[in-house]
Amino acid sequence: MSLEIQNLHVRIEEREILKGVDLKVSKGETHALMGPNGSGKSTLANTIMGNPNYEVTEGKIFVNGEELTEADPDDRAKAGVFMAFQYPATIPGVSVANFLRTAVNARREEPIKVKEFGSMLRANMDLLRIDPEFTKRYLNEGFSGGEKKRAEILQMAMLRPEFAVLDETDSGLDIDALRIVSDGVNALRGPDMGTLIITHYTRILQYVTPDFVHIMLDGRIVREGGSELAGELEEKGYDWIREEVAAGAA
Amino acid sequence: MPPSYMEERRHAALEVYEREPVPTWRRSGFWTTTLRHLRLDELEPRHYEPVGSFEELPGDVVDALNGEELAGLIVQRGASTIFTQVDPTLADDGVIFTSLERAVEEHPDLVEQWYMKRLSEDEGKFPAASAAFWTGGAFLYVPKNVQIENPIQVVYVIDEPGTAQYAHTLGVVGEFSECYLREYDVAPDFEGQALHAGGFELYCQAGSQVKLAHFQDWGSGEVYDISTKRVEIGRDAHCSWVPIHLGGHLTKQTLDIITAEKGSDMRHNGLYFTEGTEHLDLFTTDLHEQGNTTGDTVWKGALTGESRASYEGLIHIVEGAQQTNTYLQTHSMLLSPKAKADAIPSLIVKTDDVSASHGGTVGEVDEDQVFYMMTRGISRQEAIRILVEGYFEPVIGRLEDEPLEALVRERIAGKIAAAEQSVEEYIAQR
Repeated sequence: MSLEIQNLHVRIEEREILKGVDLKVSKGETHALMGPNGSGKSTLANTIMGNPNYEVTEGKIFVNGEELTEADPDDRAKAGVFMAFQYPATIPGVSVANFLRTAVNARREEPIKVKEFGSMLRANMDLLRIDPEFTKRYLNEGFSGGEKKRAEILQMAMLRPEFAVLDETDSGLDIDALRIVSDGVNALRGPDMGTLIITHYTRILQYVTPDFVHIMLDGRIVREGGSELAGELEEKGYDWIREEVAAGAA
Repeated sequence: MPPSYMEERRHAALEVYEREPVPTWRRSGFWTTTLRHLRLDELEPRHYEPVGSFEELPGDVVDALNGEELAGLIVQRGASTIFTQVDPTLADDGVIFTSLERAVEEHPDLVEQWYMKRLSEDEGKFPAASAAFWTGGAFLYVPKNVQIENPIQVVYVIDEPGTAQYAHTLGVVGEFSECYLREYDVAPDFEGQALHAGGFELYCQAGSQVKLAHFQDWGSGEVYDISTKRVEIGRDAHCSWVPIHLGGHLTKQTLDIITAEKGSDMRHNGLYFTEGTEHLDLFTTDLHEQGNTTGDTVWKGALTGESRASYEGLIHIVEGAQQTNTYLQTHSMLLSPKAKADAIPSLIVKTDDVSASHGGTVGEVDEDQVFYMMTRGISRQEAIRILVEGYFEPVIGRLEDEPLEALVRERIAGKIAAAEQSVEEYIAQR
């Protein structure tokens, strides 16, 4: 059971951003995808989710063996893929609770019972230390950076995806918020979920230890290793990778 | 015999009606509202027998009211009042709720005191038509210091093509009284033309607290609605008015709210949704006749198909109305490439020490929001429905009327589903 990306090439408008990416995230594994700004990390996340602004020119995306390269985003979600957005959209007039109920029901035959939904929501809010009043607010409207990220993780907790892509979930968080979000991710990871953490910094990886680390540079994955690779990167910086890649190419 | 003043008013109105040509409303720019397809000569008032019970009312009326507990209900079908029901305890407080036709007979002095105080037969051919030809109608009189909990409901229904319905609702709410008045203007889907020309006037006297809602859904028939609605708010009184326009072949309405005395306060939150080839032309005025008055106007609309909607909202503060504090906002959301919306806020301020602001926007569905929702497993159509509903929520929520809120949400959801294909095509091509 895996989320598998094969030789993925992606364009935005006329510019090629991803130039052949291979990545396989199996259930139960936590992967970190690291790279400097503009390396193509968020493009990969958006393409996995089927953002219509990104055009796949070559390559394939599989979820549990089913090809979803051209599928609509809602079908990918129903296949078990989730993305926590770096910049989640604001949905005015729709409360967090109503949005969550709609999303939960979207993948069910019969709508969830009010009681069952309520207790599920409470349990997950306790887990993420979210004030009950929070769910009455319109989704992301007037939310602080930390509240937005917590709302993303709350959605993940409610939807229980098989594969979760966290796109820069750590950016813009103070240490307390980062800890809460990390605790949430740690509580949810397990044999039933594969996780891909996309990040510029190693900070979140001090709280959520990855099984595998991939480093992306200029639309390609250029280094792969275990969690120790993150430590090395922290110590030596992205320039070190850049030089190594340049030397290798020469 | 009707009292002479009513005969005189009708006669004066008839003169205006016969003198005035069928109007065309043009504004600078592209907007024109024309009645050239209206075959006025082929329409006539239609009369119906009263019904004995709520269950015998036309199905659309029964559905819209959904068994709700009401303080009073008047239903006018075509030209005839077919049903009147009033909570008997209201009479103990001196409340009058009856057809205007009966009120003219039974309470001639009271009607004369208020009738057409703020409306005029000189406003054009159709205001004159409703003043000359109205039948049935509704009259609400709430004496001072009376609180009425449940809604007081007036329904105008047209259920046959060829109908001309001339309507008139007159409401007077006494000092320090509280009530909730609702008017529904409804028709089932039919083929052919019909006309509703209505006059509506409501007077909220000093210290009263009044809620008012209009719900218009004329269905898919060729129903023309040319109406004038006016609300006057007295000293330290408050009125919250929510007009809802969910359908009509061509609607031309003037909706005015007047803060007439110091301390009067109004909220005017409207909503419209047009589809198909519907044409909606609304002109609202918030008229501040005295100082220390406050206003809060928010209108929101959405358009599908090839529909056209124009909302023009004027804040008018007269000379000497110092310390007026008011604002007006209008937003339209286009859900189709062929729909056209016009949003025109404007100001006339004849005094200096006031706070008045206004703004208007026309927008589209944001593809980033749709994508975000779809990544949660929500279909595109459902995402658009949720976005439109969320967009309207600040207005719908202000109704503070659960049955009506549910009715509005249900109708809007139905319209979005009906427009699914055109909405999808539109978004896909952008």
